Amino acid sequence: MNGHVNGYHTPQGLPTLPTVVIADDEPSMRLLVHATIESDDYTVVEAGDGTQAWEMIQQHKPSLVLLDVQMPGKSGLEVLQLVKADPSLTSTRVILLTAKAQESDIETGLIAGADFYLTKPFSPLDLLTRVEEALQLT
Amino acid sequence: MTPRRRGWSLRHYMAVFIAVLLVVASGAAVAVWTLTEQDARQAAAAEANFAAGAAAKEIANELALLRETTDGLAANPQAAVIVSTPGASCNLTFAGGILFTVGHVDVLDSDGAVKCSSRPRASGPVYGSAAWLPTSLHIPLMTAPYLDPATGQISIVVTSPIRGIGTILGVVALAPVGPNLAAMLGGARHLEFLVTTTDTNTVLARSLQPALWVGTKLAGTPFKGSAGPVERRDVDGTARLYGQAAVGSTTWSVFAGADRNAALAVADQFANWSLAIILAGVGMMLVGSFVVFRRIAEPVRRLSLVMRRSTTGTAVDAVAGTGASEVTALAEDFDDLMASVKRELADRLTSEHKAMISERNYRMLFESHPQPMWLYDVDTFAILKVNDAAIEDYGYSRDEFLNMTIKDIRPPQDVPKFLELMANSPTFDRSGPWSHTLKDGSTIQVVITSHAITFGEHHARFLLAENLTESRRLELELSQAQARAESNAELGRAKDEMLSVVSHEMRTPLASIVGFTELLVTRDLTPQQRKEYLEVMLQEGLRLTALITDFLDLRLIERGHQTMRLAPADIGALITRSIALTGDGGPPIELRLPDNLPLVRVDSDSIFRVLTNLLSNSRKYSPDGGAIVVGAGVVDGMMEVYVQDHGLGIPSDATTQVFEKFYRVEGADHRSIKGTGLGLAISKNIVEIHGGKIGVRSEGAGKGSLFYFTVPLAQERAQTGDVLVVEDDVGYAQLLEAELTLKGLSSIWAPDAETAEHLVPNVRSVVLDLVLPGLSGEAFLDRLRAGHGLGMPVVVLTLKDLDSAASMSLQRAGATAVLHKGSDSAAAAATILAATLDREKVAI
Repeated sequence: MNGHVNGYHTPQGLPTLPTVVIADDEPSMRLLVHATIESDDYTVVEAGDGTQAWEMIQQHKPSLVLLDVQMPGKSGLEVLQLVKADPSLTSTRVILLTAKAQESDIETGLIAGADFYLTKPFSPLDLLTRVEEALQLT
Repeated sequence: MTPRRRGWSLRHYMAVFIAVLLVVASGAAVAVWTLTEQDARQAAAAEANFAAGAAAKEIANELALLRETTDGLAANPQAAVIVSTPGASCNLTFAGGILFTVGHVDVLDSDGAVKCSSRPRASGPVYGSAAWLPTSLHIPLMTAPYLDPATGQISIVVTSPIRGIGTILGVVALAPVGPNLAAMLGGARHLEFLVTTTDTNTVLARSLQPALWVGTKLAGTPFKGSAGPVERRDVDGTARLYGQAAVGSTTWSVFAGADRNAALAVADQFANWSLAIILAGVGMMLVGSFVVFRRIAEPVRRLSLVMRRSTTGTAVDAVAGTGASEVTALAEDFDDLMASVKRELADRLTSEHKAMISERNYRMLFESHPQPMWLYDVDTFAILKVNDAAIEDYGYSRDEFLNMTIKDIRPPQDVPKFLELMANSPTFDRSGPWSHTLKDGSTIQVVITSHAITFGEHHARFLLAENLTESRRLELELSQAQARAESNAELGRAKDEMLSVVSHEMRTPLASIVGFTELLVTRDLTPQQRKEYLEVMLQEGLRLTALITDFLDLRLIERGHQTMRLAPADIGALITRSIALTGDGGPPIELRLPDNLPLVRVDSDSIFRVLTNLLSNSRKYSPDGGAIVVGAGVVDGMMEVYVQDHGLGIPSDATTQVFEKFYRVEGADHRSIKGTGLGLAISKNIVEIHGGKIGVRSEGAGKGSLFYFTVPLAQERAQTGDVLVVEDDVGYAQLLEAELTLKGLSSIWAPDAETAEHLVPNVRSVVLDLVLPGLSGEAFLDRLRAGHGLGMPVVVLTLKDLDSAASMSLQRAGATAVLHKGSDSAAAAATILAATLDREKVAI
């Protein structure tokens, strides 16, 4: 059940839509984020943990990654560092989602290079705004 | 100290022994001397007697020989010729004998003239004047002593007549006879021989000084003056032992005398030797005694001195070199004994000293401790000691306290619970919270620390009360202080971490709820979407609720604030009920319970929670099914309960971590399974409060797991009482039990009917709630009546307002009385008392 791809309907070889990767270990959170940002303008891919998320990022070279910070496998911050260190992913934007609400965590996230940082519980509309901003930048 | 009767000392015994020895030795010496002398005397006398006899015989022989010679010569016709013919030649020879060695033979005519003689120059008449001459011409004669005119010697004269014309004369000189006898028969004793005539008492012969004595009269001599026939003095005055014999036909006597002194000298010598030997023996005995005395008596005396002073020096040194080996061994034993006595004494002094200090410290600690403390007798509950803090905090005076029991400071409803706890309490115990009543009637919450102690002759228990109100305030202050010092406090970091975890765990469901709510509010959604989102929201809301509940529960349990009522319970019933609660969905659950499981001592609600938690975990983590097995059994004196599944299993490195708060097993399979992450942590706390252990065994991921926990068995003595209260509502049960205690009834509690079935044989009556978990009150009553008949009074409790018909039907079913739960608990207790005592049916 985990790691299955929703909306991956673009045939191989054709010009592709931008891809957004959602990485969260909580299915309800993936559902919420997915429902919030559902759009015909881009493809959404879900990952259930950090390891799976990194695999998908390498495979899809997504325009945007929505990363839960606290995940089994690799944590969101670890995945973020991998993204930042990978030259082929220079155009990939990262938004961190976390239940951690402390100043130091936000600082850590931003220093690591995240484009934005949302604290749970967050406003879905706010999230959508951030996602659209991030994608328009590309 | 009364003087001990000691008896004689060894010194006394030695003195008496030596005295007796001397007496016996001198007696022996005297006896030996006397006997020896007597013996010597007899021997000498016998020898003298024999010699006298022999001498007499010999003299008689020689006389006879002389007679024979003269008679022979007289009979010779030539004798007459010689007498009658002057100048006739003749030749006579005196042959002599052994004794009669000197003498002569003559032929005499009637005038006494010598006609012929054995002497060489004999001539002329010599014997004409002899008195015997005329008679001798006609009859044989013998005369002695006779002074021979021819020789001038005193002699024996023997005559034989020659037909009236002459006589043959034999003359023997007496002087040589004595010495001859001595030479012949004198022997080794050199006997003196004395021959006397009996009629005249004239000396005829003597072996000593014959020239002086032959022919003399005995009268006036010492010999004649001596009284004894054997021992007498000789003629010279020398003491002798005499033998005596008569000589043949004569009137002569022969005396043979041994020198008395010489004879007895041997005996004296022998006696002297004996005496010397005896004296030597006595001397050796004395020396021996002295040595023994020196080797035993003296060392023993010194030993005794050492023992009397016995603080310095050793017994072995005291007897060194002088004592017999037995004495030395005794001294060594004594030293060993003294050493061990001293050691023990020292140990005892030290331990007594320590005990004294310890007791003093203990008393100071007790008296001056800022928290209230009591010491009470566990049998009577009477308060034996109380400290100042208790007097100050509780308002009672010391005297008032000492007239109270420890039960009096508790509210009545707490007393049964307290008694039960005491019945089962270990040596050291800490429990709470308890209510304590102060003198002014107010109640405070306390945590009790108690331990068993022996106080004088009492089995006592020491009890310390911590005021919770106060300790909570202190706790808060402490946590604030810790928060202020968070930079360096490990506890602060741990709390931060905990806060972060809780925050995360709560924010996730909250984020779903808030997020979907916003979507619902702001977007136009299809009904299907709306439903989907709302379902997620409901699930997450429930999850959040469960999380908060579990988290608060865990905090309560961790801090010991969760009230646990430990009581006998049927673990099988708890397991069965928890399986029923788990429901029918999911893998099948197999129950493996041995018959006759003993009761456990648990808080039923808490253990039920552990069971449902383990069962739901097994279900959750067995997504592909597989049987779940639940079982129980007694292991090492504890009840072990296990729940085994064939589900996802647990990696071996995570078997301890699963019991930590919010710990989740990593892995895709586990991740999708929801939970608060607190169930096992709560279970672990509950089991550990019961004194049990919880754990998990798993062969690894994918191989299923076996969770087990242990709880203590109920003690026998906690399972008897007057009344059995079967009631699942702990509070009501406690209230009722308190009332029963006031009525003087002891009670035991069963949280369900299954447990009650075990306890029924131990009580006199039963109070039964009809609404119970598991087996219902009615079913229990049916079974009770079927098993025990009507002998056991059962008072039924009900919340329902029963009409008389229902009440009657209950009584028909076997209820002794029916009580409404809303009624006064004291009245209820009275009813139960009546039922218990009278076993009468009472209807209300």
